[in-house]
Amino acid sequence: MAVEALSPPVGQPPDPDYQMGLDLMAFQQKQRRILSIKIAVVWLVLLGFVISFLLFIEFDFAYVVENAWFIIKEGAKWTIIISVVSIFFATILALLGALGRLSKNSIALGISGFYVSLFRGTPLLIQIYVIYLGLPQVGKSLALLGASLGLPFLSTVGDWFILTPIQSGVLALSLNYGAYMTEIFRAGLQSIHHGQNEAAVSLGLSRWQTIRRVILPQAVRIIIPDIGNQFIAMQKDSSLVSIMGVWELTYMANRMARKDIKFMEMFLLAAAAYWVLTIISSWLEGLLEKRLSHAYER
Amino acid sequence: MNAKPLIQVENLHKWFGMLHVLRGVSFTVQTREVLVLIGRSGSGKSTMLRCVNFLEEPSAGTIQVGDVVVGCNPGVQPDDKDILAVRLQTGMVFQEFNLFPHMTVIQNVIEGLTTVKKMPKDKAVAFGEKYLAKVGLLEKRDVFPIRLSGGQKQRVAIARSLAMEPKVMLFDEPTSALDPELIGEVLDVIRELAYEGMSMIIVTHEMGFAQDVGDRVMYLENGIIVEEGLPPEMFKDPKDPRTKNFLEPIKKYHTL
Repeated sequence: MAVEALSPPVGQPPDPDYQMGLDLMAFQQKQRRILSIKIAVVWLVLLGFVISFLLFIEFDFAYVVENAWFIIKEGAKWTIIISVVSIFFATILALLGALGRLSKNSIALGISGFYVSLFRGTPLLIQIYVIYLGLPQVGKSLALLGASLGLPFLSTVGDWFILTPIQSGVLALSLNYGAYMTEIFRAGLQSIHHGQNEAAVSLGLSRWQTIRRVILPQAVRIIIPDIGNQFIAMQKDSSLVSIMGVWELTYMANRMARKDIKFMEMFLLAAAAYWVLTIISSWLEGLLEKRLSHAYER
Repeated sequence: MNAKPLIQVENLHKWFGMLHVLRGVSFTVQTREVLVLIGRSGSGKSTMLRCVNFLEEPSAGTIQVGDVVVGCNPGVQPDDKDILAVRLQTGMVFQEFNLFPHMTVIQNVIEGLTTVKKMPKDKAVAFGEKYLAKVGLLEKRDVFPIRLSGGQKQRVAIARSLAMEPKVMLFDEPTSALDPELIGEVLDVIRELAYEGMSMIIVTHEMGFAQDVGDRVMYLENGIIVEEGLPPEMFKDPKDPRTKNFLEPIKKYHTL
C-alpha cells in the first residue's frame, strides 16, 4: 500500500542513487518557479493595459481615493451582512430540502420538489420584487378580512408581510440560493458510498442518526467548495437588493456616480471591492476545506 | 443440546425486481455454532446473510434471531423496532470494511455504544479499548482509518462490531478485498472468536479456513441450499454433483 511506500525507509541501506532523486526534485521545483514568474509577468502586462486605458479616459484617481473609504465602509458592511446572513439561512433550507428530496415521505418529497422547482425556475430579481412589493398586498387583505370578521389579530399577522428592504433581500437570497444548494446537498449526501450507510444501520443507528453522525459529516467535506462557490455568487447577487435602496456597495456607488457624474470611477471601485471580497471568501473557503480534510491525510 | 436455535430462517425468498435470488431457503444456527456459506458469486449466499440483519429486506419468509421473530411477505413491511432488535443482536463485517473515514479508530469502535446504546463516553472508551486490544490494534486507537492497512481496517471493523456485544457475528467475505499477505491476520482474529465460542455465519472463498473453523458448511447455487454437512466430509466427498462441480477446480489448486 501507499502508506508503506511513503514512510521513510528505516533500517534500509542508503540508496547509492539518492543524489539523482534530489536533482530531479530540484529541477521540477525550478520549472515550477519559472512558470509562476511567467504568469506574474502576464498579470502585470494585463494590469498595465488596464491602467493605460484608465489614463486614456482621464480616470479621476483622486476622486476615487477621496470617496473610497466612505463607500467601502458603509457599502461593504451591508453587502457582507446580507450575504453572510443569507448563506446561513440558505444552508439550513438546503439541508432541509435535501433531506426532503431523499426521504420516502410524500409530503416532504412534494414540498421539497416544488420548492426547488419554483425558486430555481424564477429570476431572483422577480422574487425580490414579489417579496418586497407584492407581499404587503397579502397583509392588506388579511387586515381587511380581520376587520370584517372582527378578528383584530389578523391585522397584526398582516403586518408580518410588510418587510423592510433588508429583510426582503435576505429572504429572497436565502430562498433562491437555498433552492440551488438543495441540489448540492442532495448530490453530496448521495455521493457517500452506500457501505457507510450499511455499516451504520448494522450497528443499530436509526436513519436520522446515520445521516447526522455518518453521512452528513462526510458529505459536508465534499460540498464545501460548492458552498464556497455559492457564497461568492451570492455576494455578487446581493447587489440586486440595491433596487430597494439598501445602502450596500452597488447602491452607494450608483448614487455617488450619478451625483458627481463619475460612472467609471465609482463602478470600477465597487467592482474592485466585490473582487477583493470574493478573493477573501475563497481564501477562507480554502482554509475550511483544509481543516476538514484532516482525517483524510495519510 | 439447544432447545431453540439462535437463528432460524424459514422459507426465505428474495426478489430483486423480477430476479428470484433466494428461492425459499431455510436454515438454523445454534448457539456457539459456526456456519460457513460457500458458492459461486451470484449464488445468493451474500444476500442470504444480508437478509438475516435486514440489510436486504426479505421478500418473504420468517427470520428469528434470539427472541425476535420477524415475518415478511409481499406487502407486509417489517416493524422498525423488530429490525433494530435483530440488528442489536447481530454484528456485521463487510468485504469493504466500511470504517467511518472521518472518525478515529476508537471513535469508530464506540460509535454504536454512545449513539445507540447511549453509554457514557468514558465507559464506552474503556469498552472499545478492550476490543481493540482483542484484535491487537490498541496502539492505533487515535489514528484515522486512512493510515491503516486493509488487514488493520478489517480488524478494527471486527472490533467495532464486537463492542456492541452481539449474540452472533455475520461475516460477508471478510478477506476478499485484502492483499494476500494481509488475509492471515484477519482470519486469525476470526478463528480466535470461533474458539471462544462466538456464534457466526461466514461467507467466504477461503476453503481451507472454512474447513478449519466451520462446524457446518452450506453450498448454495441459484438461490437454493444444494448441500450442507460437516466440513471434512463435504470438502472430501461432496454428495451432490453441483457441489462436486464447484469444489473440483478449487481442490486442484489447494490442498484441503
